[in-house]
Amino acid sequence: MSDRYSRQTLFPRIGREGQDKIKSKHVLIVGAGALGSGNAEVLARAGIGRLTIIDRDYVEESNLQRQQLYTEEDVAEKLPKAAAAKMRLEKINSEVEIEALIGDATPEVMAGLIGDVDLMIDSTDNFETRMAINDISQKYRIPWIYGACVASFGMSFTIVPGVTPCLNCLLKAVPLQGLTCDTGGIIGPAVQMVIAHQTAEALKILVEDFDAVRPSLVSFDLWRNDYTSMKMSRAKDPGCLSCGQNPEYPYLNEANRMKTAVLCGRDTVQIRPPHASTVDLQEMSGNLSALGYEVKGNPYLLSAEMSENRFVIFRDGRALIHGTKDVAQAKSLYQRLFG
Amino acid sequence: MNKILFFAHLRDEAGEESVMLEASGKTVAELKAFVAENYGIHKLDTAMAAINEEFAPNEEMIKEGDVIAFIPPVSGG
Repeated sequence: MSDRYSRQTLFPRIGREGQDKIKSKHVLIVGAGALGSGNAEVLARAGIGRLTIIDRDYVEESNLQRQQLYTEEDVAEKLPKAAAAKMRLEKINSEVEIEALIGDATPEVMAGLIGDVDLMIDSTDNFETRMAINDISQKYRIPWIYGACVASFGMSFTIVPGVTPCLNCLLKAVPLQGLTCDTGGIIGPAVQMVIAHQTAEALKILVEDFDAVRPSLVSFDLWRNDYTSMKMSRAKDPGCLSCGQNPEYPYLNEANRMKTAVLCGRDTVQIRPPHASTVDLQEMSGNLSALGYEVKGNPYLLSAEMSENRFVIFRDGRALIHGTKDVAQAKSLYQRLFG
Repeated sequence: MNKILFFAHLRDEAGEESVMLEASGKTVAELKAFVAENYGIHKLDTAMAAINEEFAPNEEMIKEGDVIAFIPPVSGG
């Protein structure tokens, strides 16, 4: 073996044997934003055998502050993130086999990708996709690592089917209106701290040191100097529909998904969350104004506009995204703003 | 008495890092409803709760002296 991984193999918990295992493994990274960029870079440098990266967005200027794989040229060319990530990662480590997929990570697409995947790393920005990753993980017995951040806060939890509770045990439902990076802001160090936790867990799983996997959900706030671990020994729900005795994998089911429809002749996509909820329009109005949107509203709906983005959101969470017929683009805007 | 800790944006909404109140005998769900109403927090029902640093489901009963933490799941990435 060349000198390339010598400092990593010197670390006794990895060693030569661990390095060979890392080289033989395939990781699916869902999302190529801030977490996806960082997770992919760490694993590529660590000598992962194969990486599959899926993302539906292109690189924008506001990504550069924290999405470490991208450059100003990528912004100028409006390169899809997955494509830009692949090019950069191949320069970092030409030994890694990288597959870049430009598109929406739907349950069907992900299920089609996971053939020989050993581990999935969550780098998405929404809980609908995370719940689908969670169900795929349970159905196909593949571990995954949840990670998320907003503002100066972040959290991570490792889910090993048959061993740990799953995300559905913890959340029971998709939390709506969670703060996102687009509404609550985000600082680079919070991203890096989540990446550090996710990739450390990934290395443990890739070298098959399962005893070392963190059993708790870790959360931290780098601005307020908090670091907390929540023990999960009693969190496993025997009746959980994703990991319990009679699993139904509800998030692989069409009925639990966001519905989209292109409204013909109106250059508009309608988005409806799977379950009606009550959006706090006043709070939303404040968040959108803070982002620079011009917001108008009444007790039933809000309409917001900024450069090419124009949309209306109703109290029950339904939204009309104007100026596009592209469902993936409309979903992307919706989930960036509303979680 | 019980110490209730808030994390992430819940702390901004509550305006405090923690509060002391009498929660023994309440379930986690009941405490969430009480705190949401009395401290002006919007989305507490979807927050995860820990009792003495251990994940606690909604139906778990709170005992005297327990420390309860509310941690909101975040979705940015």
